[in-house]
Amino acid sequence: MTQSPTRHHRSWWLVCILAFTALWASSVPAQPAPPPAASPIMVPNPSTDLWRAVRQREAAVAGRTQVQGVQTGVLIQKSGEDFRNYRREDFIGPAGMVLGGAAVLVLLFYFARGEIPIPDGRSGKKIRRFPDFDRVLHWFTAILFIFLALTGLTLLFGRFFLLPVIGPEAFAVIASACKEGHNLFGPLFLFSVLGMLIRWGSRNLPHAYDLKWILKGGGIIGTAHVSAGFFNAGEKIWFWSVILLGATVTASGLVLLFPVFGQAREIMQLALVVHGIVAVLFIAGSFGHIYIGTLGTQGSLESMTTGYVDENWAQGHHDLWHKQATGAQASSGAATDKKTHVTAEPGAAAVERT
Amino acid sequence: MANMKFYCDAERCIECNACVTACKNENEVPWGVNRRRVVTIKDGEPGERSLSVACMHCSDAPCAAVCPVDCFYTTEDGLVLHDKDICIGCGYCFYACPFGAPQFPESGAFASRGKMDKCTFCAGGPAETGSAAEHRKYGSNRLAEGKLPLCAEMCSTKALLAGDADVISDIYRMRVVNRGASVLDWGVNYDKASLRQSKGMKGKVSSKG
Repeated sequence: MTQSPTRHHRSWWLVCILAFTALWASSVPAQPAPPPAASPIMVPNPSTDLWRAVRQREAAVAGRTQVQGVQTGVLIQKSGEDFRNYRREDFIGPAGMVLGGAAVLVLLFYFARGEIPIPDGRSGKKIRRFPDFDRVLHWFTAILFIFLALTGLTLLFGRFFLLPVIGPEAFAVIASACKEGHNLFGPLFLFSVLGMLIRWGSRNLPHAYDLKWILKGGGIIGTAHVSAGFFNAGEKIWFWSVILLGATVTASGLVLLFPVFGQAREIMQLALVVHGIVAVLFIAGSFGHIYIGTLGTQGSLESMTTGYVDENWAQGHHDLWHKQATGAQASSGAATDKKTHVTAEPGAAAVERT
Repeated sequence: MANMKFYCDAERCIECNACVTACKNENEVPWGVNRRRVVTIKDGEPGERSLSVACMHCSDAPCAAVCPVDCFYTTEDGLVLHDKDICIGCGYCFYACPFGAPQFPESGAFASRGKMDKCTFCAGGPAETGSAAEHRKYGSNRLAEGKLPLCAEMCSTKALLAGDADVISDIYRMRVVNRGASVLDWGVNYDKASLRQSKGMKGKVSSKG
């Protein structure tokens, strides 16, 4: 010990004063920093980061795996739960309501209006309306459509209505047959859509008199006659609906049918959502078409069964076509709706009936 | 009644794929079907982690909700199993499952889906326990023999845990207490992990965990 206690004391004070001066000087321009709180050691929760990545909350994390296949590197796909909720909560119930509602509407219309008779009764004279090819095309489509609708609806509603009645084993047999049948015959609908588009597409192009037909409601309300060509506007709307819905339902069905082209689950979920909604709308629309073609209008069905219609039916429902068909009857049996010919206003026929 | 669960400890999985191989061998699954797979995220980057994933036997299983023939059922042990005699191979369960567990052999016409196959927690299926039919359709029924799923039983690092949820979570909780939730460089390392040790726990719990 060479230093005296007083000297040591003095130097200690000097250090303290210097330190306080430095502290005071630094605290003048800014607020003094708050004393560090006795906080726990800050450790980010690594599990949170891991599971955030697994759930792909921030960005898609591409995992790598030895197992080959589509999306095997995805640990958790989020849209699965959305698909489940959509199917159970948002689709099956409303689909039933849409179909039931459409059936009720058709029934109500039948009770309110009854069968619409051929204007002025049957004349006994027949006009050729649909040649063999058209009728084969129509019934091919119709039978296929009804088959696909029944098998599809069994798969959609069977678990809730059929399974509790006949038991799981029997229902499994039916459902399996429905699935196989639906898958095997479903793709044939492509030929229906293409065939109809080629065969009837040009005759379903919109025309000025169609607007008048729509504005008058197709003559559904009241007894006013509305003029129409080979196909009226209602038939044209149904035709283009069939083409559009048919193409969509076929395309989405093909996506689901062949799961071997590497399509992701999200694509197939979307395809199934589209397939279901479009199919339900298609079936609901078909109720109206079937009703009008059979019970709703006297003399309509025979155009698709025999290929001929009564002349008064043609006169009453498709006067422009009738005029043209009877004019051209001598030269050719089947009439075509040439738009250039149908410029005449529906004169005499409408006046007579009102 | 137990509530059987899998848990994969991402800090321990070394992506050896032994669970995948063990599962394929034990259950003799159809060609092209993997009931279990190991997925590595951030492969080759800092923070790389691997997880072994199969059917997680959800308590509220989406597959069962969307199945059009209602072929799924939950056992008393909380396992989600399905009846292959009822399954029609539509694929909806695959769309709904978050984990990609349902698998389909390409046994249908034009390589379309056959009957769905997925992890059974080595608990067989609805066929008679121990029968040849059960083994052919669903694979091994180790649970009936008092054994746990082979994937977890033979996991070399004991990353993959299988068993009653309470037991599994106890084991995992012990591990977390000892080492922290992470041992590597995802924000924590061994130095920091040592700071997290609880009072009086040092050198004691590690022998149990």
